[in-house]
Amino acid sequence: MNAVLREGESTIVAPLAVRGLQHCYEGASVLTGVDLTLAPGSVLGLIGRNGAGKSTLIRAMLGLLVPLAGTATVFGEPALKLGDAIKARLAYVPQQPEALAWLTAQQMLDFVGRFYPRWDNAFAKHTLERWQIQPNKLLAKLSPGERQRVDLIRALASQPDLLVLDEPAAALDPVARRELLREIALRAGESGTTVLFSTHIVSDLERVASEIAFVHQGKLLMHCSVDETKERYGRLWLPGQLGYAAPAQSLSRRRHDDGSLSLVIERDAHGHWPEAASLPGARVDALGLEDLFVEIAE
Amino acid sequence: MDASLLTVQPASAEPIYRQIVAQLRRLIAGGQLAAGDALPSVREVAGFHAINPMTVSRAYGLAEAEGLLERQRGKGMVVASTRKSSQTESRRLALLEPQMIDLARQARELELPAQPVLRRLTKLLGEAT
Repeated sequence: MNAVLREGESTIVAPLAVRGLQHCYEGASVLTGVDLTLAPGSVLGLIGRNGAGKSTLIRAMLGLLVPLAGTATVFGEPALKLGDAIKARLAYVPQQPEALAWLTAQQMLDFVGRFYPRWDNAFAKHTLERWQIQPNKLLAKLSPGERQRVDLIRALASQPDLLVLDEPAAALDPVARRELLREIALRAGESGTTVLFSTHIVSDLERVASEIAFVHQGKLLMHCSVDETKERYGRLWLPGQLGYAAPAQSLSRRRHDDGSLSLVIERDAHGHWPEAASLPGARVDALGLEDLFVEIAE
Repeated sequence: MDASLLTVQPASAEPIYRQIVAQLRRLIAGGQLAAGDALPSVREVAGFHAINPMTVSRAYGLAEAEGLLERQRGKGMVVASTRKSSQTESRRLALLEPQMIDLARQARELELPAQPVLRRLTKLLGEAT
């Protein structure tokens, strides 16, 4: 069972865990066997191209769709049959929130606030102002961006143990985005909130995420800590005449028009690059996450 | 010391915790931070830069292990007292080694001889006061 993490003597239930998840839409595969477990207090950034399956994965993890195959649990309970106690501990913000559109922002927040034992009314009020939402306008009349901002406020004010955000950055200007990141970072660090968020703005993820997962063509290409990813991978460039020396194992390999090669390589257990990296004429460059992602997702 | 004294470049290939340790090393070696100076709390740094508090803790822990910082009761992290705030010239120079290797490599790639590069660098060093 992957859903249970062991730490010291005690057994800790993973806030989110999926195994062997598969799904398809109209015959086209969207998820092709995903295993993923979130440890409590971790901040996992999901990154992938449009259509890579990020939103589907998130929805399947939360039990919002019935997958073709595989299992999903939330705090150890089957995601498809969540009890109210678990639901009160989690907050999810979809890319396009649609619920309760006939209420104003203020009415909606007052209404849902009653269902959450730790509802932070002051935060909701204050953040509505800061994020420039007219409290008395109907949700249906708000722009999609404003609508998502209201939903982010709802999610944060409920002080959840598990916060799941699908592309939250799209709705926010840079100042508000920074505020959201600050909230995510401090809540994870201080209240132990577990966070899962998808984004295509890699630098957001690099600020607050403790782990990163690359989703590509319905698969999880990589799941490891942000720091480790940066330290472990690099780009090796080999001139054409050294092509023979290219390591057989690499995450990606591209031959350029001039015959030279670019490869994404990995350090071994002792922190050394493959031998080819020390040949005269070869060159290794450090890779930021965005470059790494572009290299392996192309 | 204030959290704004540190700069964080999330998109850099260098992990953020390493960026912070490297800056602390330079600030202490250069005397901007003196022995006994209090560091901003993990929360302040994480909040100011909107970064994960674990990253800041990791940086502080590493700096402590290196002898740059020490934990003082009631005060949090302070610059270690056992350390001379201004180190020898050769040690301070060693902190610039990675950047100099990088500069040398780029100069070679541009097929620039040493003289004009050094002239320009000398000028920049003179200006930066």
